[in-house]
Amino acid sequence: MKIISVVSAKGGVGKTTISANLCSALRTEGHTVFALDLDPQNSLRLHFGIAPSHHAGVALSSLRTNNWAKAMVQCNAGCVVLPFGHVSESERISFEGALSKNPLLLSQQLVSLGLPQDAIIIIDTPPGPSVYLKQALSVANIAIVVTLADAASYATIPMIDSLIEEYCLTRADFIDYLYVINQLNRSRQLSSDVADIMALQFSNKTISVVHQDQSIPEALACNQDAIRYARESRGAQDLIDFAMLINVTLNDVYRSQKNEKYLELFS
Amino acid sequence: MRNILNYFLNSSSILKRIGNHILDLRIWKYRIATYSIALFGVIAMFIVISTPLTLSEQAIFAILAFSIALVIRTLPWGQAGIILMIVISLMMSLRYMYWRLTSSVDFDTALDAFLGWGLVLAEIYALIVLILGYVQTAMPLKRNAVMMPEDQTSWPTVDVLIPTYNEDLDVVRLTILAALSMDWPSDKLRIYLLDDGRREEFREFCHEVGAKYLTRENNHHNKAGNLNAALSQIDGEYVAIFDCDHIPTRSFLQLSMGWFLKDPKLAMVQTPHFFFSPDPFEKNLDTYRIVPNEGELFYGLVQDGNDLWNASFFCGSCAVLKREPLMEIGGIAIETVTEDAHTALKLSRKGYNLAYLAVPQAAGLATESLSRHVVQRIRWARGMAQIFRVDNPLLGRGLTIWQRLCYANAMLHFFYGLPRLVFLTAPLAYLLMGAEVFSSTAIMVVAYALPHIAVASMTNSKIQGRFRHSFWSEVYETALAWYIFLPVTLAMINPKFGAFNATSKGGIVEKEYVDWKLARPYIFLLALNLIGFLAGLIKLAANDGTAGTLVINLVWVTYNIIVISASANVAKETRQLRSTPRVNASLPATILLANGKTIVCETSDFSRNGLGLKPLTAVEIPVGEQIWVSIFRGDKEAVLPGTVSKGGKSIGVLFGNLSVEQQRELTQMTFCRADNWVNAWGQAAKDAPLRSLREVLTYGVFNLAPLLRDAIRDTYLVIRARSNRIKLKA
Repeated sequence: MKIISVVSAKGGVGKTTISANLCSALRTEGHTVFALDLDPQNSLRLHFGIAPSHHAGVALSSLRTNNWAKAMVQCNAGCVVLPFGHVSESERISFEGALSKNPLLLSQQLVSLGLPQDAIIIIDTPPGPSVYLKQALSVANIAIVVTLADAASYATIPMIDSLIEEYCLTRADFIDYLYVINQLNRSRQLSSDVADIMALQFSNKTISVVHQDQSIPEALACNQDAIRYARESRGAQDLIDFAMLINVTLNDVYRSQKNEKYLELFS
Repeated sequence: MRNILNYFLNSSSILKRIGNHILDLRIWKYRIATYSIALFGVIAMFIVISTPLTLSEQAIFAILAFSIALVIRTLPWGQAGIILMIVISLMMSLRYMYWRLTSSVDFDTALDAFLGWGLVLAEIYALIVLILGYVQTAMPLKRNAVMMPEDQTSWPTVDVLIPTYNEDLDVVRLTILAALSMDWPSDKLRIYLLDDGRREEFREFCHEVGAKYLTRENNHHNKAGNLNAALSQIDGEYVAIFDCDHIPTRSFLQLSMGWFLKDPKLAMVQTPHFFFSPDPFEKNLDTYRIVPNEGELFYGLVQDGNDLWNASFFCGSCAVLKREPLMEIGGIAIETVTEDAHTALKLSRKGYNLAYLAVPQAAGLATESLSRHVVQRIRWARGMAQIFRVDNPLLGRGLTIWQRLCYANAMLHFFYGLPRLVFLTAPLAYLLMGAEVFSSTAIMVVAYALPHIAVASMTNSKIQGRFRHSFWSEVYETALAWYIFLPVTLAMINPKFGAFNATSKGGIVEKEYVDWKLARPYIFLLALNLIGFLAGLIKLAANDGTAGTLVINLVWVTYNIIVISASANVAKETRQLRSTPRVNASLPATILLANGKTIVCETSDFSRNGLGLKPLTAVEIPVGEQIWVSIFRGDKEAVLPGTVSKGGKSIGVLFGNLSVEQQRELTQMTFCRADNWVNAWGQAAKDAPLRSLREVLTYGVFNLAPLLRDAIRDTYLVIRARSNRIKLKA
């Protein structure tokens, strides 16, 4: 089981879009993919064509039965989605209370789901520091930092970096983190300049780019992921390229794990 | 049988081993031994070429030699195979010449003697050029690039000089922007535009983009003078020189500078001139990228061959020179109109090394019409003849024998005008005037001349492979022969004769037309040969004269007719509507539509003002739609505004008024790419002499009738126009 957490310091940078499209692209590559929405906005489900009237989710399951398995929804794209669920304000507060009381809640729930060995879980998180972000980072094998190419997003990157340092880099099972610059538009000078500065500053990290593209919001309006909706668009191609990068990273990890197993057998 | 075949096919490694064993022998350490072996070789060769044989003996000898050459040609023996073929070729050609001079010049009449000796002299010229060509191209050096050291602080400063006189800013702009984009420490790279046109808008442009702009008081000595004026104002350790229409790639300096650091005596590195538009031969004969052009032979093989003998040429552009040696010889040579070749010769005389690196790192426009091409070649030919007169490489100090031979051949090459005209008219001597230019029987001529021509053709074809196709080069030479013959002769008489003509490039040909002014001499030659052919047929029918001699001359005249017909067709200028030639390239790109949607594409071609795009899936974009186009190079992306000029499966986009920054980005994403030209270089099919012969024959035959028809029609039109004018006057 490999866990990928998609995080950002600011809202509205397209985390949910990136998460949803990553799910469907990795699914196409033959992985068993689970999408977990840890954002109270509860919007990840919309990318998978789950009806707005569907209220069940991990928050309520947690509070009522302490079993997330019931929240799983099989979607037409072949992914299994665990929506956050529709909750009242008091329910949300008590869920968050439970999360802060038990720092291992997420980890325990994921284990109790009994997912297959090769499963990939992609966790969408709310923007900025929160109990959700803390737990999502604490279990992640890979962290994806989504940002826009604008001054405000650029200024908040150090904050996320310090969180990753605290919750991820100390763990042996953490593989890597990478940046995604979303909605890049090189015809705008500022957008282009910020992207260049980031490339320069994080030259030792992988930086993926997803270009600004009207096809992506349009895909959501049509209840589809962008990769299916407008494959010929640059936005979709960028998302595919990005998913392939993750795919390669995962395959490398699996391969080296396999090798280690063989080595153990022979030693 | 199969075993024997396999043995030969694997013989390359065996041969190499034997060769290495021989080279390892201690005997080579003694000069006397080397000379003795060479002397033995010369004596053996003399015996072979001078032994008199009867007709049947000569025929058997010829067939044997030809067959052996034919077999070696197909074996993978590499350089050894080429040397062996050269030896066989020399044997047959020298044997022919020996026989020719001893047994076929016993002329009866004064006319016979005059025409006969004329032909013999032309043949001697051809033989000398053949032998010098073998020396020049038998063993190309194929030098590799030397990488620059990691530490950029040790890199020298380079001044890039771009001389211009009357070219359009549109053309020059691209070269300047590309030069500015070269990968080199910015504090060690300076770009100078040397404007002999002294144009204000050029000065402003240079100022805007950060290039330096230089002018001088006068235009003395044209390009050479322009460069020298600049040399006195700059102080970089090296000078890179680009014609204003040769666009360098970003990797040019990093690739070409390495050798200077390795070899302190090196004074010049030349790289190929690569053209991304067809020259008039390729355009008008429709052979672009199918049959290699003249430049490909020179830069693909001749220069690499020269390099072995330390005699690479400076070709005026796409080269780097070390400033100190250049100033030591007084700057760029101004004595002749081919300042570049003469500069290289002067550097050689001072003991400096010259290098050639066969990696195309710059590209430009070829001359677009035959008349301009002819003007350019006249200049080269005239300049070479001038050097031959004022600073003959065979004489004077400081050169090795091999350098002398290489330089001499480069100059002699341009003397082909007269000999070529002699060969094109020689059979007429017998057919029209009844003159016997061989005092021998027809069958003896065939027995000696045929193996000489056949083996030489085969050997050249083997050496030149991808860089020259047999028979097509005869067409190239023939088309220029008439025009370079006179200037070369005049320059030999008086080197001061002849003014410099800049070759301007980039233009459009709106309507197909025949440049009769240029074609006229060839129409005349064609008519003469056709008359000769008819006369021959009549003589044959009337049984007047020797049948054998008649048949030989008829075959010869037929070949001449076909070659002249093909050559004259170069004057038929085909339509060329695009003033900016497009370069085929598939680069990643995106279309950004006004509604914010994007479409992933690949480019099919690019030019300085537009792009061809192939979308991932078919889309319908209306013509005239304003869009943005992104072009990618690695992580870099340039976004440029444009207008759709063609919709459908392949989309055409024209750029409007790009800002200077956008132009710079476009240049960096397209013309400056390091890998642009390497893949298109030397990619013509390998020469197959018989196929080339068939191509030229078909071309010549099928275009003969239309050419004559056009000639008669246009002549009629001219006469009618004249008589109308006379009527009006009256």
